[in-house]
Amino acid sequence: MSLFGGLEISASGLTAERLRMDVTAENLANAQTTRGADGQPYRRKEVVLQEAAGSFGASLSAAMGPNQGTQGGGVEVAGVVQDTATPLKRVYDPGHPDADAQGYVSMPNVDTVTEMVDLISAQRAYEANVTAMQAAKQMFSKTLELLR
Amino acid sequence: MLFDTTQLALERAIEGAGKRHEALAANLANANTPGYQRVDVDFHTALAAAVGTGEAAGGALKSLSFAPTRDASAGATRADGSTVDVDSESAKLAANALEQQAAVQVAHARIGILKAAMGTGT
Repeated sequence: MSLFGGLEISASGLTAERLRMDVTAENLANAQTTRGADGQPYRRKEVVLQEAAGSFGASLSAAMGPNQGTQGGGVEVAGVVQDTATPLKRVYDPGHPDADAQGYVSMPNVDTVTEMVDLISAQRAYEANVTAMQAAKQMFSKTLELLR
Repeated sequence: MLFDTTQLALERAIEGAGKRHEALAANLANANTPGYQRVDVDFHTALAAAVGTGEAAGGALKSLSFAPTRDASAGATRADGSTVDVDSESAKLAANALEQQAAVQVAHARIGILKAAMGTGT
């Protein structure tokens, strides 16, 4: 971990939040998709985040002695899961090619408002990680001044 | 001895602030992790205890370790069970960065004094 540990941790946060933004964008793009990859209406996806256990280097330095002081590796993506809990929306549209016998079409369970809120949350968290990165940079450059 | 315990304490303070930054950065990285419990490094208490040992301060400072600990005192304020508050983490991060820079500044000044005494200028 050592010198650039702070930067690595913040970078893991950036990666995670960017993926959340990507998945949110995918959900929004597929808000009207009645034919997903499996032929069924698209179901919204969600990113599951978990605390990273720490890199090999961090575990090694922890094993070397308590004085090495170790830290988890930030955050990592546990997986991208489909939201099967929220029901699909039923819209009456007899002219639609995917309408059933009663004229109803199953539309994706994507709620635009929820996605927008998720997007803002991911964006703000991303900014917080960038700020942490800038602080780390400042601290490193300040420490380097000791050599001057 | 060229470097006294104050210089050593400053070095350990800089190291402690670095470790604390890692902990706070990890909290921010896990801002959206459900059930995450925030970590922190309380290097102030450890440092104060080591300096307070008087004669043995040098050895106590050298053997000081700054391990991050789970902050059990922070109650969950969020529905997902996470104890991270992005605003307070950011504030702590900024304050910690300033503290580290202050310690570096003082250490730098002390090295400058030594250099001047050695006749090599600042």
